[in-house]
Order: sequence, then C-alpha cells, then structure tokens
Amino acid sequence: MLHETSEADNILELSDYRVGFRTERGLAKAVDGVSLSLQRGSTLAIVGESGSGKTVLNRGIMGLLGANIIEGGSAKFQGEELANTSRQKFWGTKMAMIFQDPMTSLNPVMKVGKQVSEPLRLHQGMSKKEARDRTVELFTLVGIPEPMKRFSEYPHQLSGGMRQRVMISIALAIEPDILIADEPTTSLDVTVQKYILDLLVDVQSKSNMSMIIITHDLGVARGRSDEIMVMYGGRIMEKAPSESVFVEMKHPYTEALLSSIPRLSDPKHTRLTPIEGFPPDIVDGPQGCKFAARCKYAQDICLTSTPEETIIDTHTYFCHFPVGTDAGAEAFKSNKDRGFTAAGLRIKSKREVV
Amino acid sequence: MPKPIRRLIGLLGLLTIVSMVTFGAMNFLGDPLFNILGPVAADVDNPESLKVIEEAKAQYHLDKSLPERWARWAWDFVRGDFGVQFSSSGQPPVSDLIKERLPRTLELMAVAQIIAVSIAIPWSVLAASRANRRTDKISTITAFAFVSIPSFAMAVILFYFFSVQWDLLPDTYTATDPFWGISHDHRLIQLILPGFTLGLGSAAAYQRLLRTDLITTLQQDFILMAKSKGVSKRRVLYSHALRPSLFSMITLLAINIGFMIGGSLVVEQFFRIPGIGSAVVEATLREDFPVVLAIVMIVSAGFMVFNYIADYLYTLIDPRVRHEDTSKPRKITSMGM
Amino acid sequence: MNEEQEINADEVKNDSQASEEETSISDSTQLEVSEFADKKTLGFGFWLATFWLVLISFLAVFSPILPFKDADKNYIAYEQKENPLTGKVQERPVQPPYAPSGEHWLGTDQDARDILSRTIEGARISLAVGALTALFGMVVGGTLGMIAGYFKGTLDKIIGAIFLVVLSFPGLILAILIVALLDRSLLTISVTLGILGVSPIGRLARAQTLSFSEREFVMAAETLGAKKSRILIKELLPNVLIPMSTLAMLVIAVAIVSEGTLAFLGLSVQNSATWGKLILTGSGLSTLESSPWVAFVPMGFLFLTVASFNYLSDRIRDYFDVRDIFVTRD
Ligand SMILES: Nc1ncnc2c1ncn2[C@@H]1O[C@H](COP(=O)(O)OP(=O)(O)OP(=O)(O)O)[C@@H](O)[C@H]1O
Ligand code: SF4
Ligand SMILES: [Mg+2]
Repeated sequence: MLHETSEADNILELSDYRVGFRTERGLAKAVDGVSLSLQRGSTLAIVGESGSGKTVLNRGIMGLLGANIIEGGSAKFQGEELANTSRQKFWGTKMAMIFQDPMTSLNPVMKVGKQVSEPLRLHQGMSKKEARDRTVELFTLVGIPEPMKRFSEYPHQLSGGMRQRVMISIALAIEPDILIADEPTTSLDVTVQKYILDLLVDVQSKSNMSMIIITHDLGVARGRSDEIMVMYGGRIMEKAPSESVFVEMKHPYTEALLSSIPRLSDPKHTRLTPIEGFPPDIVDGPQGCKFAARCKYAQDICLTSTPEETIIDTHTYFCHFPVGTDAGAEAFKSNKDRGFTAAGLRIKSKREVV
Repeated sequence: MPKPIRRLIGLLGLLTIVSMVTFGAMNFLGDPLFNILGPVAADVDNPESLKVIEEAKAQYHLDKSLPERWARWAWDFVRGDFGVQFSSSGQPPVSDLIKERLPRTLELMAVAQIIAVSIAIPWSVLAASRANRRTDKISTITAFAFVSIPSFAMAVILFYFFSVQWDLLPDTYTATDPFWGISHDHRLIQLILPGFTLGLGSAAAYQRLLRTDLITTLQQDFILMAKSKGVSKRRVLYSHALRPSLFSMITLLAINIGFMIGGSLVVEQFFRIPGIGSAVVEATLREDFPVVLAIVMIVSAGFMVFNYIADYLYTLIDPRVRHEDTSKPRKITSMGM
Repeated sequence: MNEEQEINADEVKNDSQASEEETSISDSTQLEVSEFADKKTLGFGFWLATFWLVLISFLAVFSPILPFKDADKNYIAYEQKENPLTGKVQERPVQPPYAPSGEHWLGTDQDARDILSRTIEGARISLAVGALTALFGMVVGGTLGMIAGYFKGTLDKIIGAIFLVVLSFPGLILAILIVALLDRSLLTISVTLGILGVSPIGRLARAQTLSFSEREFVMAAETLGAKKSRILIKELLPNVLIPMSTLAMLVIAVAIVSEGTLAFLGLSVQNSATWGKLILTGSGLSTLESSPWVAFVPMGFLFLTVASFNYLSDRIRDYFDVRDIFVTRD
C-alpha cells in the first residue's frame, strides 16, 4: 500500500484485517479484509449501510467483541500488533469509545457523575474530590447545564442529547490517543445531532487525538473528517480524502449513498436504505463484487471476479466500472439499454415512473 | 384509588377470609369444648360436670352461633387480644407464646437469609462471568441439586457431616433457653446448622435467578462501555453488572422471607428451635385452636405483606422505574408449602 | 438518479437456492453446530431423568411380584461365637443394623429389615402421594382455570378469587391442620396437598387458555358454530396441557417433599413406610452414627426422584418455551 507518511506517524494501521463470528450456519465474515491507516490527530469517517460491518470493525479494534470470534490479518495500534497485546492496557488510557445509543451504554443504576469520574480515579490517580471537580469541568466543557446537579443524577433523568454529552465527557476524561465514535448521533434529534458532532470535532481538533466517526450518512462525514471510507459487506468499497469523495466519487455504491443523504423532513431515527435490495449474506456471500446484485453498472465480470484495488494518489476504490470513467458510463448505458444489469436488476427508464 | 392502596385493602379482605375459613374449619373438625375442659366435656350426664360445661360455654361464648363467635374473636384480635392458650395450664394469653416464639423464628430467618445472599452473590458472579464454560456448567448442576434437596434432607445431611462425622458443631440441640439457661453464644452456634439448612436451598434458588440476570446484563452496552473505560474485570462484575441484575433476586428474597415465617417448621422441629413453626405444630397436635388461629393469621399476614412488598420493592430500589422501565423483574410464580 | 430499481424475481430465487446449499454444507463442516444443537434437543440429562423415573415407578408398581426381600421381615443374622461364660462355641444372633453386603445390598435398619426393600416399599406411597396430588391439582385446577380463561367475566373473577384465597393460606400449616384433625390416610394427604396445587396450576391454565382463546384456530371453530365444551376440550385443552404438565411435574416433586416434611412432623401416612418416614427413622443421632445408610438410602431415592421431576419440568419448559419461572420450595 502507498502511504504518504511514514508508519511512525500512524496511530492505527490495519492490513487485511478480518473478523468472523462463529454461527450456526458457519463463519459470518463481518469484516472481510480491511486495510487502512490513521494518522495521529486526524479523523476518519467510516460510512456504510446497516450491517456493513462498521461496528464490528471498530469493536474489533477496541477488543470488545468477546470470545466467539476469529480475527485475521493485522491490526497495529501505536506500532504494537493488537493480536499479541492485551487490549486492557489501552482501555481507559489510550483508547476510548462512544457508543451508538447513550441510553443503553450508560449504566442505568449508577450516577452519571460517578461514571465519568471512574476512569479518572482508576487511571489518573485522582482523589474523589479531584475527580469530581474534573468531571464538573468536563460537563461544562461539553455544554451540560447545571453540571453540579447533573453529577448526581441517573442516566434516565437526562435527555438523549445530555446522555450523549455525558458519554463524550467520559471519552474526554480518558484523554485517549484514539477516540472511536460509533454512530454517536443516530438516536438523537436532528438539531441535537449537529451540536454533538460539532462538539466532537471541536474537542478533537483542540487535543491531538485521532478519531474514527462511524455513520451511515455521508452528510455527517462531510466537513468533519479528513478521510472517508465507504464500507459494504465487510469490505472497503472506496476510500478518499473527505472532499474528493463528494466531487469525484468512483464507486457506484458511494454514488448511491450520496443520492440518499437524509433530509430534515425525515422522522428521527430513520434508518436509510439508500438502495433497493439487501446487503449480501456474510456467511457465504456472492462471488465477485459484493455490491453486484444491487449495482446499476454491473456487468458479467462483476459476478465472477472481485475488483482489484485501484489507487490514484490518495484515492482508493474497488470497482471494475468506476463512476465517472468511460468504462463506467458505457457499462451503465448498456445496462439501461437492455433494461437490466448482469445480475438481473431491472432498470426502469424515467418514463415508467409516474 | 391508586393500585397499591387497592391491593392493600384486598389483602385485608383476604386475611379476613383466611381467618373465617380457619375458624370455621377448626370448629367443624374439632371440638373446642373438649379442648378446654378435657374429658369432662363429654360427661354430660353428671350434673356437676354439666354445670362446669355450661360455665365454660358461657365464658368462651360457645353457646353463641359460629358467626358471632368469629366476630367476637375478630374484634378481640384487631385490638391485640389473641385469646388464651387452651392447652397450657393456667391458660396464659396466646400473645405471651407469640412474643416468646416469634423472635426465634425471625432470628433463624435472618441468619438463613444472610447466609443465602452471601453465598448466592459471589456464586452467581463467578458462574455468570464464565457463562457456559465448565465452571458455570458445574455450578448450574450444583444449584439444581441444592434446589432439589428438601430442607429436612439438608438438615440430616449437614447434621451428619458437621456434627456426627467431623464433630465440628454440637450434636445436641437445646436452643430452648430461657428454660435451659444456655448462653447467647451457645445459642448462636446452635443456629449455624439450621441457618445453613435453610440458607443453602435459598442460595441455590437465588443463584439460578441472579446468574441468568447477570448474563443478560453482561451483554449490555454499558458493560462494554465500562470495560472500555479500563475498569477491571472484577469491578465490572461487582460494581457495574451486579446492581442492575439484583432486582429479580430481591423480589424472590422478599417472597422467601414472607414464606419462611411459616416455612421453617421442619428445621425448627429437627433442631429443636422453639420458634413459631414448632409452636404451631405443637398447638395443632393438641388442638389448641386460639394458638393455631393466631399463628395462621400472623403467618399469612407476613406472607401476604412480604409478597406485596416484593411487588413494589423494585420500584423503590431501581432508580429507572420513574421513567420507562426497560427491565422489569420477571414474573415469579412461587409455589410450594 | 431517477430510475426506479427493482430486484428481479429470478435473482431472489437464485439467492434462496444458494443459501439452502450453504446451510447444508456448513452444517456438516462446522464444529460449532453442537453448541447450538444442544439448545434444541432435550439433552442427555432429560433421558437420564426419564430413565430413573421409569425405573423407580416400575419397581414401585411391581415390587410385590419382584424378587425383593420382605420389607417388614427381620432378617436377623447368626454367627458362631464362643460364649464367654460357658466357653462353648454357639450360634448367636448378630446385633443389627447390618452394613450393605451381598445379602443386603443397601444394608438393614436396627430391626434387621432390608433397606432396599423398604425404600422401594416407600416409593409406592411417596409416588402415589405425588401422582394423586398432581392429578387432583390438574383436574380441579385445570378445569377451573380453563373455565375462567375461556368464559371470562364474572366466572373468571369468582374463580380468580378462589385461587387467591387458597394461595393466601400458609400451605404447610393448612396441611398439618387438616391432616391432624381428619386422618392420616393416603387420600386425605394427597387431596390436602392437591388443594395447594390447585391455585398455581389453575392460574397457569387460565393464562394459557386466555391467550389461546384469541388465536385464529379457536376463532375459526367458534364461527363454525362449534359447541363451547367442544372448543374447550378439542381446541384448548391440548394447548394448555403441555405448560400445565410441566407445572404438574413440579407439583409432584413438591408433594413428595411435602410428604417427607409431614413425616418429620409426625404426620405422614399411617401404617406404611414412606420415604419421609424412612429418612426420619434413620436420622436420630445414634442411628446416624452407627448406620448412616438407613437415612441416606431413602434420601438418595427421594433426591433423585425430586430432582428428576424438577429437571424434566425445566427441560420441557425450555423446549416449549414456556417463560414463567416457578419457584418451588418446601
Ligand atoms: N455477535 C455476532 N454474531 C454474528 N454476527 C454478528 C454479530 N455481531 C454482528 N454480526 C453481523 O455482522 C454484520 C455487521 O454488523 P455491524 O453491527 O458491524 O454493522 P453496522 O455497519 O455497524 O450496522 P449498523 O449501522 O446497523 O450499526 C451484520 O451482518 C451482523 O449481523
Ligand atoms: S460496477 Fe461491478 S465492480 Fe463496480 S460496484 Fe458495480 S458490480 Fe461492483
Ligand atoms: Mg453499528
């Protein structure tokens, strides 16, 4: 792989990283060969539909997947191969995570103040009072009103947005080298979403921590990340510097995602299924390109051969008929002309839509 | 009317019915006059006996109708007058007996439940933290076996090993002070085996509930969150997972306490503890109805009250309850005697 | 991109075919299958428990015609021993109890009676108590519960109140009272214990009936004009029976234990050996010291039987996904 920077600058380094779950039907390959590197102080956004393996990838990095998994490939954190290291030594000091749903990821019967001050006391040797002061400080920082009062409240007494702020305070209390935010705003109101995201980015840019933001919404990633990685069926589809994804996206999947950025009019918690059809079976998925069944560009070759990695400068993608190329345009045209793709997906012409 | 209040009134109604049925049954199945007077009661041909009989009838209102007698009894009962003990000489008040015996049963119960909880918690945590691995499987089987050992069998087993075989604990049980004048320490020692007899069974029952709840809790996101904060495994288990998992167990604990007020009979009998259980057995065999009636009332009131408490307890101890409740304790149907 | 997209029907078909093939392949190749299979079968323990229950019931029923020793006979053993006074070698009786041996596989009690025979004799009464109790509870509780659940309304309220009242009695005290004041026959004891089983069984039957009576197949039968009694028996009973029988197994276990409890209070079935009475006889200090088998053999039988019933109930509940938790105790 090409890297602009030397390895030493990379806080996280995955190469052909794989995670499989042992299930009744066989091995569920939730993450299927992901390579990436994350620089110190930079932000990566991982975008993909539900079930594309975003959470599994990141919990795999955090070491939070439990025992029933098989990992493969290599994952290095600060130069250390994670498979050979006890993840425990990074927890609470160098790695931190914000979970998707702040309701279920805060302990319902422990006061929120205690939940924030716990890592301070355990890892930074603070006294009870010091930890309390620091917690109140953090609460103020993330914009929790009446921080003193909130300290001794339970999660259920707080609104969703407040709870997520508490989660962010916990992450900040840890002062990690890497912060992974797994869809930190999906369960929140649209107005609160923006605030929380901006808060995260703001805090991140002030400290020198690296961040991974996971989202199914390209719009969220825009302007809040240095690099965007699009995942599908456990694999990388496209990876590029943030802005270039929007102006010169190469992958049909990215294109489809982009056409479905959520609108304010959507009810909250809307899970977008941007493209007709379902994600591929991860136990024994299709041959060739995983997206083929739903891709409007798909040709015969897509069904049999997995596209190779194409790298143009900082832009990486996996596709036989990339968007915006002659090959892509031709493939789409031929599919449109015959009315369906090589995988049998029907393409209706505009006239049929009434 | 709020539901808790309605239920409380319902409980009073139930208690009334319980007392009526018991009162009626005892008068149908037994003969109170005979119990008061002994053989004299049958000697109706002798005018002297007849006079005694008439007097007793008048004194105990036996000449009145059954409903009236029940009403008199109930009126006395609510004012705290439980009547007299027919079968004891001098016919001392029933309340004397209760005052003497009830604390013994409560003491036994407290010891047993402390033992049960202090075994059940670490046991469940151990099992849940190794869910479905060998330790857990063995402990599940053990818990299952313990639940299937009746308390009289447990009493014999513990007594055999600890008192007979290994000689660690006393093999004669004389906890009947103040009559025997043994010291308080001695009495506590004599509570060890009965306490474990009742406690081990409860511990196993609690373990079965708590283990399942802990396993459910351990799959929650906030446990991952705690882990990712660098909280040690032990601390995750005891200070994060335990508390939100305790509610079903506490419910069962409350039910058990209510139940054990009347349910420690065999153990009291076996270890000669002069509690309320052995009192009711003695009184039943002697057909000492006022005593039986009073104890039936106390025991069923205790049982009902603790069941009632069990239903509302988690609303007091679970901070979530005021809002939408995500993890109500499961429905526990208690059965048995 | 305005084109509407649609998944071709053929495509879906292909997919499902493919996944069928996958499952058949992965089934045979994956090691993990056993872990999951474990949950779906009844398991080894289930058959072990069933085996024990069949065995003990068989022994109990057929013990009169099986070649066991006489449960009431005193098998005094004799030995050649020198009389210390006369110095002559004489045949003298050996002081019982006798430890387990080829003659008495599980030993004898102080009266030289064979423990195995007595324990099997005890099984007759103890199992009979269990069976009669459960039968009574099922018939009375089940009928009341199903009626309450099916007809709802006032009938439901009345029956519910009856269940509640029975539940409010301290069970064991009630049992002692009835048994002490009436008589100590097998029937009295079983019916008394059965009354205590009525409420839990009845409530379960009611709840099940209630939920099933709103299912389509019952509605369908109703609209076809089937008689209510017919619907209750043909449509509802089969569905109520499984959860009810899991509870009935627990009731059997509780009844067997309760018999033992009554025995320890001196109130068990008169003039017969029961497990409770056998254990009680063996549990005096001196007997435990000299011959622990007298108590422990019947206790072992009782334990295995109670545990088997508990376990079967547990497994079947798991298997049929009955969610209620029953807590039994004695
Ligand atoms: N414990 C598990 N056992 C088996 N399969 C799992 C497990 N956890 C996740 N998976 C599977 O792995 C795949 C990826 O799931 P993952 O949660 O990573 O998706 P995601 O991209 O985070 O989706 P979402 O947007 O819904 O959070 C899914 O198909 C999921 O079913
Ligand atoms: S064009 Fe072919 S390779 Fe590219 S995304 Fe579509 S199916 Fe995959
Ligand atoms: Mg996710």
